[in-house]
Amino acid sequence: MSAVSVCGLSKSFGLLRVLRDIDLPVEAGEFTVLLGPSGCGKSTLLNAIAGLEDIDGGTIEIGGIDVTQHEPSKRGIAMVFQSYALYPTMSVRGNLSFGLRVKSTPKREVARRIEWASRLLQIDELLDRKPSQLSGGQRQRVAIGRALVQQAKVFLFDEPLSNLDAKLRTEMRVELKRLHKELGATIIYVTHDQIEAMTLATRIAVMRGGRIEQYAAPDTLYEQPETLFVAGFVGSPSMNFLPGELVGGAMRTVRFGAAMLPLNGYAFRDALSARDVVIGIRPEHISLAQDAAAEAAIDAETLFMEPMGADTLGWFQCGEHRLAARLSPQVARGIGGRVRLSFAMDQISLFDPESEARL
Amino acid sequence: MSAASAQARIGRIGLYTLLVWTCLFFSIPLLVVIATSLKTSDEVRAFSIFSLPASPSFSAWVKAWFAACTGLNCGGVHVGFLNSVRILIPSVIMSVFAGSVTGYALSHWRVRGANVVMLFLLLGAFIPYQVILYPLVKMFSTIGIYSSLPCIIAVHVLFGLPVMSLLFRNFYAGLPEELVKAARIDGAGFWRIFIWVMLPMSVNILIVATILQTTGIWNDYLLGLIFAGRDNMPMTVQLNAISTTSTGVIEYNVNTAAALLTALPPLLIYFASGRYFVRGITAGAVKG
Repeated sequence: MSAVSVCGLSKSFGLLRVLRDIDLPVEAGEFTVLLGPSGCGKSTLLNAIAGLEDIDGGTIEIGGIDVTQHEPSKRGIAMVFQSYALYPTMSVRGNLSFGLRVKSTPKREVARRIEWASRLLQIDELLDRKPSQLSGGQRQRVAIGRALVQQAKVFLFDEPLSNLDAKLRTEMRVELKRLHKELGATIIYVTHDQIEAMTLATRIAVMRGGRIEQYAAPDTLYEQPETLFVAGFVGSPSMNFLPGELVGGAMRTVRFGAAMLPLNGYAFRDALSARDVVIGIRPEHISLAQDAAAEAAIDAETLFMEPMGADTLGWFQCGEHRLAARLSPQVARGIGGRVRLSFAMDQISLFDPESEARL
Repeated sequence: MSAASAQARIGRIGLYTLLVWTCLFFSIPLLVVIATSLKTSDEVRAFSIFSLPASPSFSAWVKAWFAACTGLNCGGVHVGFLNSVRILIPSVIMSVFAGSVTGYALSHWRVRGANVVMLFLLLGAFIPYQVILYPLVKMFSTIGIYSSLPCIIAVHVLFGLPVMSLLFRNFYAGLPEELVKAARIDGAGFWRIFIWVMLPMSVNILIVATILQTTGIWNDYLLGLIFAGRDNMPMTVQLNAISTTSTGVIEYNVNTAAALLTALPPLLIYFASGRYFVRGITAGAVKG
């Protein structure tokens, strides 16, 4: 049984269809991230699951119960907002206990849960302060604490880290990961930051234009993107895309310009005849060819190097296409002029340029 | 001292002279009224209105408060004062409350036709009173409460509602929407969110609204005259009756004392809360 099961969900704002026939099963204990550019409908989907947004069609089940028509408070969810949304006139303790008091939880139980949550989040020193007296990171902890004390079946996070500065964001990311591990909670998390998504998620749903493009584990998503959009959106710098043409009856080779690149047992989805394709290759799968005779290699002109510490991004021009390669700093030093780049062909992805789907 | 700074000094002196004169010019009416109210009747008749009282006394104030006559009724303005208080307190409480709830509902809940409601509220805020006086009189006499305390209170609440609702709507629209969402997830409903989350954040705007309504209702003359009825005449209406009375000698000192007594409550409010009052005006003006 899924912890959350969204089926055929759709939603329009006037003529604009913001969610189109969304299916999203989330298993118990899973950390699902909704990832996409702004305006892709990810926050709307989260609000719909929370019951804060009316929907036009489809069903939402939480813990096996159809909650499509239920009030937000009756769905067994807790939510953390981007702006924290702490009640400014209440103390931290008041913020944590508000929901419990509304539900007439016994006083002793309220106290017990507040103590538990504030210990867990290390905010027990701050209980009597007002939100205005807290730093951004502390407010974020209180907001998470307010969700934790609810002991909900599912926790919903709406871009909770995007208001924090870079250093704090990294810290809170680790913190969230620890919390998820410790509590074994089911979490649905919205972000437009792919690093957050990759590091936190057990499964990522990449969204575009109100649709889920791919819903898979981070590794699968990264290594075998289902669509051109997913391939380009996940990963930084993004995947290199080159136009190619499949040649040979058994389709053992893809042609890019003058170069013939062998496809070593590429797992095609369906058998097809010779046709145009888009070759996708990640920067880390391009390296300097050891010798001029290397297979699966192309000639390119060096543009410039971007040293990033652990590795260096090399930018190369090949005809009208620009390529990024992730190189080791030692290799990158002293590169210049014309070079030969070799592709790790077992790591590439091929896409249909028309349907943008993986081949 | 250099020539430039001497010139600047002369400029300063000129500026302050002008300011002092302007101040005096505008405060002369008030000073005359205060001086007159402290004179005896004989003194008022014998000397110019600009002369200062020879021996200031509050006897005219006492007479105005306890014994000034409206026609044959000689109870003083304290009758009107009490009437005004009786009208004021429920009117202010009810109009501020109704306005804050309406503003909250319009800004944070998806009300069907909220835009139409807003349009009517805006229209309501700008329609001149005179247009609706007659229909209102007819309506109130039809339901049988015309010329009574409930009638004048209802009128004040109705007339206050548009401006109060807009004031509160603008204030609440500035609060983050996620607060209401968070409270809804915490299980709070419309009223609980209003009372526990919104109202505690609204102290400033509540003070502003209360000041606006208190001064507005206290200073009202027209509505009180038409809707309050003979037994509930507010202080302003009574003051007018006292100063336009045509029987006997006109006691200017008593009239001016009565005028000052009537003006005192709003004046005190302005002095005590000028800060909030200015804030309220700008809140209404800037965020229209």
